[in-house]
Amino acid sequence: MLFRILKNSFLKRPKAIFLIFLSIVMGSAVATAFLGIAGEISHKMALELRSYGANILIEPSAAEGGGFLRDEDLPKIKTVFWKYNITGFTPYLFGIAEFSAGGRKERGVVSGTWFTKQLEIPGEDVSILGIKGIAPWWEVQGRWPEDADEAMIGAALAKRLHIAPGGEVTAHVRVGMQKFRIVGVVTTGGYEEEQLFAPLVTVQSLLQQQGKVSRVQVSALTVPMDDFGKKDPATMTKEEYEKWYCTAYVTSVAKNVEEVMAGSRAKPIWQIASAEGALLKKLNSVMLLLTILALGASATAVSTSLMASMAERSPEIALMKAVGADRFQISAIFIGETLIISLAGGVVGYLLGNQLAEIISRTVFNSTIASPLWLFPTAIISALVVSIAGSITPLRRALLIEPVTVLKG
Amino acid sequence: MNRRRWLLHIILRALAHRRGRTILLLAVLAMASSLATALGIVSSSMEKRVAEEVRKYGANLIVLPALARLDVGSGGLNFGVVSEPAYLLQRQVESALEQSGLKAERSFHLTGALHYKDADLMVEGVNFSDIRRLFPWWQLKGNWPTASGEIVVGNDLATQMKLKPGDTMELVGKAQKMRLRVSGTVSSGGEEDGLLFLALPELQQAIGLEGQISLVRLMVTAGGDSLKKSASALQLLLPAAKVSEVRQTARTSEGLLAKVKLLMLMVTAVVLISAGSSVAGTMSTTVLERSKEIGLMKAVGGTRWEVMLIFCGEAAMLGIVGGVAGYIFGVVVAQFITKTVFSASAEFIPWFVFVSLGVSLFLALLGSIGPMISVFKLDPVRSLRGE
Repeated sequence: MLFRILKNSFLKRPKAIFLIFLSIVMGSAVATAFLGIAGEISHKMALELRSYGANILIEPSAAEGGGFLRDEDLPKIKTVFWKYNITGFTPYLFGIAEFSAGGRKERGVVSGTWFTKQLEIPGEDVSILGIKGIAPWWEVQGRWPEDADEAMIGAALAKRLHIAPGGEVTAHVRVGMQKFRIVGVVTTGGYEEEQLFAPLVTVQSLLQQQGKVSRVQVSALTVPMDDFGKKDPATMTKEEYEKWYCTAYVTSVAKNVEEVMAGSRAKPIWQIASAEGALLKKLNSVMLLLTILALGASATAVSTSLMASMAERSPEIALMKAVGADRFQISAIFIGETLIISLAGGVVGYLLGNQLAEIISRTVFNSTIASPLWLFPTAIISALVVSIAGSITPLRRALLIEPVTVLKG
Repeated sequence: MNRRRWLLHIILRALAHRRGRTILLLAVLAMASSLATALGIVSSSMEKRVAEEVRKYGANLIVLPALARLDVGSGGLNFGVVSEPAYLLQRQVESALEQSGLKAERSFHLTGALHYKDADLMVEGVNFSDIRRLFPWWQLKGNWPTASGEIVVGNDLATQMKLKPGDTMELVGKAQKMRLRVSGTVSSGGEEDGLLFLALPELQQAIGLEGQISLVRLMVTAGGDSLKKSASALQLLLPAAKVSEVRQTARTSEGLLAKVKLLMLMVTAVVLISAGSSVAGTMSTTVLERSKEIGLMKAVGGTRWEVMLIFCGEAAMLGIVGGVAGYIFGVVVAQFITKTVFSASAEFIPWFVFVSLGVSLFLALLGSIGPMISVFKLDPVRSLRGE
């Protein structure tokens, strides 16, 4: 009996049912999309902000600048406690060289570095490291070096040497010389424009400093500095120190990598690190407030549309009462109806919302999004709760009316 | 009673008679239009606020003498100076900046060497009040210099020379000897850690380079491609200098701003479309249930046009009231969001009242015209019978 009533109530009023269905689908799609994105957006934004460049610098600890770091320590950076927060790093070895090309001579800096390097560490995922990852703002005319004798030259230096991609430059240093094929010219607006960039191994053998590195730039995801993070670790108690060490402050990540690089000290590059924290905090709180706003709005929209449709059905309820249905039977019919629509609407809305989240993440961040497992039950349950909440008030009011007054019109 | 007043009378009575339904519809319309207003205001002020935030990453243009090379020792590398120093005239740069009409924060720098004990120290002459604005990331221990003869020392240099705030040191320049007091130490993780900072005029005097500077950092307030344009405009006015864009901050900020804008746009679109369709649906539900009324109107001789007029009048009335209420509520919400997040008040954008009204009217009319057309197809007799 109940089933037949429900079936007919759906089939006889397709338009009204469709409108409620639509509103539930839309509401749960927005809720799904927002909850799905909100969880990931701070991570995505943090990754986005990493394109401002490295935020930690590792240098030899010897204050006079004479020391070197060892390149066999480099893979250890990807094995530290905060390894998943380290999105990339690049070693550099610098030397002063006399460059000559086509009869012109210029003094400048030769830097050995990684451009794109695949680093395989046993027990860890393969990671791609190098300048290309941590300095996306470099504008390269030509291409990035691939072979050992290929190099990339800074725009200012290239201009003075009158050299373009395809040319050759010879670098003379005190202990030897090396011919480089120039494959790219780089413009940054910074001091990089005065340097010649070549693969690390080549420069190490040119300068006869095998296995040595002058400094390492590390790009790490960090949390904004707060008052606790600004405290000097030297004055902390043991518990405080532990808490500090296990929070991804830029200082504690720096401390972490410093420990694995022999003879090093790591310092935050505050220009990047301090602005990043503040910006991230603000973007996150905007998204949080917008999520609350969107959830609130969709909940209101859904429950009001149910309220509207339920309120118009008091004659129906009165009729049912008149033919002898008790309150529970009437409630069962209407609540059952609502449950079925909102269940269907919740599922469709969830699927739609997932697509929306995917589209947003793809267009804005060029990456896919993994929707968390808890999202599906949450979307369905919230669709049910919101629609029942919307229909209960008008239903209760309808149940209280005298059938006669309503039936009379 | 003339026709227009009669129409108004019907509409008002219809709205007043079903008070519950009117209030419900007003509430949802106001909600949708306040959502449009709030999201619109937040998105449009968001761009400005984020642009302000990314300024904390520092200068986006630098001006240096055409002959000079950027210091290769940047970022804690101690190569010394590879090239011959070159200078710009401070006066020239100032007048060029004035002529170009650029809206820019500026900071003048002069680098030179001063002798201390038995070593040469790299000293940078700066204007400390400019530094505080353009280099907000400096981690200063001690105080900013307030009187002349006070300096700030880079952290690494301070450790090396065993200097701390309050110490005095004697520095010898080409032109004169100075006694200076260390007022603070700075750590930035960049080249600043190995430098000593002195007020610009004092350094100019000490090394005999009055009115000369070696580098200007500019933070130009601009969006889109106009940064490149301002760079080339400034370049034309300063033939002796090289103006270049600091890609690390300039390009990255442009990219970030574009992303934030796109994100806000998509979020706004998603919320508006879904809330809008839901609201239009609610509106339709209420009209659908009134097919009996429509049938009666037609039966007593109302043309389609007249019936439409009555229902659209009702919808428009609801839409206008809802839109105005929505605008007021939306402005409050937007104000709340920008206050809590950016601790600044949102801009007051009066034309958003039209956006709000537009959204509310559009939804109300859309929600009532759609179902009415389907009701019209019915025979009045059948709709009167309630089928």
